[in-house]
Amino acid sequence: MIKRAISLAALVLFFSVVALSLGAAEVSHVWSYIFNPFHDASSTSHQIIWQIRAPRIAAAILIGACLGIAGVLAQGSTNNPLADPAILGTSAGAAVGVVAGVLLNIVTIGSVGAVLLAAIGALLATLLTFSLARSALQLITIGIGVSAILTALVGLALSMISRPDARSVSFWSFGSLALVTPKTLVVLLPVMALGAAFAWKIAPTIDLLSLGDESVRHMGFDPQRIRRRAFIVLATLIAATVSSVGSIAFLALAAPHIARYLVGPQNRKLVFYSAAIGALILLIADTASRALVPPNELPIGLLTSLLGAPILILTLKRGGDIWR
Amino acid sequence: MAMISIKDVTIVRGNRTVISNFSAEMEPGTITAIVGPNGCGKSSLVAAIAGDIEVASGEIWLAGRNLAHLTLHEQAELRSVVMQNRNYWLSYSAAEVLAMGQDASSRARIPLVLEQLNMAHYIDQSVTTLSGGEAQRVEIARALIQDSQIYLLDEPLASQDSQSKVRIIDCLKQLRDQGKTILIIAHIDKGALGWCDQVIDTLS
Repeated sequence: MIKRAISLAALVLFFSVVALSLGAAEVSHVWSYIFNPFHDASSTSHQIIWQIRAPRIAAAILIGACLGIAGVLAQGSTNNPLADPAILGTSAGAAVGVVAGVLLNIVTIGSVGAVLLAAIGALLATLLTFSLARSALQLITIGIGVSAILTALVGLALSMISRPDARSVSFWSFGSLALVTPKTLVVLLPVMALGAAFAWKIAPTIDLLSLGDESVRHMGFDPQRIRRRAFIVLATLIAATVSSVGSIAFLALAAPHIARYLVGPQNRKLVFYSAAIGALILLIADTASRALVPPNELPIGLLTSLLGAPILILTLKRGGDIWR
Repeated sequence: MAMISIKDVTIVRGNRTVISNFSAEMEPGTITAIVGPNGCGKSSLVAAIAGDIEVASGEIWLAGRNLAHLTLHEQAELRSVVMQNRNYWLSYSAAEVLAMGQDASSRARIPLVLEQLNMAHYIDQSVTTLSGGEAQRVEIARALIQDSQIYLLDEPLASQDSQSKVRIIDCLKQLRDQGKTILIIAHIDKGALGWCDQVIDTLS
């Protein structure tokens, strides 16, 4: 258990260092800049590594972790292994919130206000999906429907009013870490830390939900209240990620399953491991997206799918059972 | 004072009246069995006492208090419920399931109940791999580790082998001797219910 945690942390660290050394710009003596962060601080090389690459790597780790935790909350709170923020409408709701705010000139992307609007959109969309669904299957079908409607609204709005400060349709559909700056991190970090801390706190109540709503009530707890709290945390985490890097596919679905395979279904463990796995996958995917065919960037969402999906399939096959 | 009072209760499911104008009382320190054919409203009655469904008319009182005025938390302090046909779908261990949502004093009773129900050998096993009887004993244990005044059990003896049946019945008798009120739904012959203090046959 502790060995697994340390190996995961070591893997994240290892790939962070590798990611620092890779990129579109050629940097000579790259390792001396990486292993000595104060060496030659005014040089272009230093700036590329510590002002451009490092914040992006930090963002990939943070956002991957958030998506991993968001997936745990989505699956746990709905008692459904197929639930994820993209399917429940959470991500699309967040995108609607930000885009509406920017187009109405209320907020700018990267501000706390944008995260707040995203959180409101995310929460409303999730609650809408959940209140319309009458069964586990409906949750997925209605969620796909709600997502499709909201995604279409974002696309149409941006096609009609093309404004660079509202980002592109492809940003909101596929995501990109290319626009991350140190300033983004300043807003993201506290929101995410708070979200992760609350997710950890409510995790045991989400374990309880797996017994079914009736059993939860028999024990004196209100399952809807547990769920609402989980949705608020979920919406906050997704608001932070979507408002800064758009919607990144598949990670929130895959990371919890992989974590469950490694450490079992207890949600406190899952919050930690799914975060670590999400961070690792997004870090590798983002590094590949900028380093494979420089100076072009590959769409990050496609790489997370390409990386996450095979791991997910292998995990589920070896686990023998989707619920493992 | 009766621990459970069912006063002129009518229960409607969909557009079918499953129980009409039924009254009964269960005293502290007694075991009551409800028997009767499928569809006669046994489970509906227990669901109503457990607070899962509302009655169309009439009242249910627990320990001298109207169920309709009790919060979820107050109900949980008064009574424990064992439901039927639990399908576990995540591979928590039996020990993890038992500990879920329980306070410290309930958790302290886990070893005793494991012993009583002969569960110690599969406590670390994933609940998804348990047999029907073993899984049902996990549910029974979840209720028994809670210190309640009232225990409601829907078919606790179904899918148990004869040895486990004896163990479960012994547990229930012990609870009765401690003054608890026990209500079970049974699908067995009335003749096999000699250990119960009261048998309610159909609810008409």
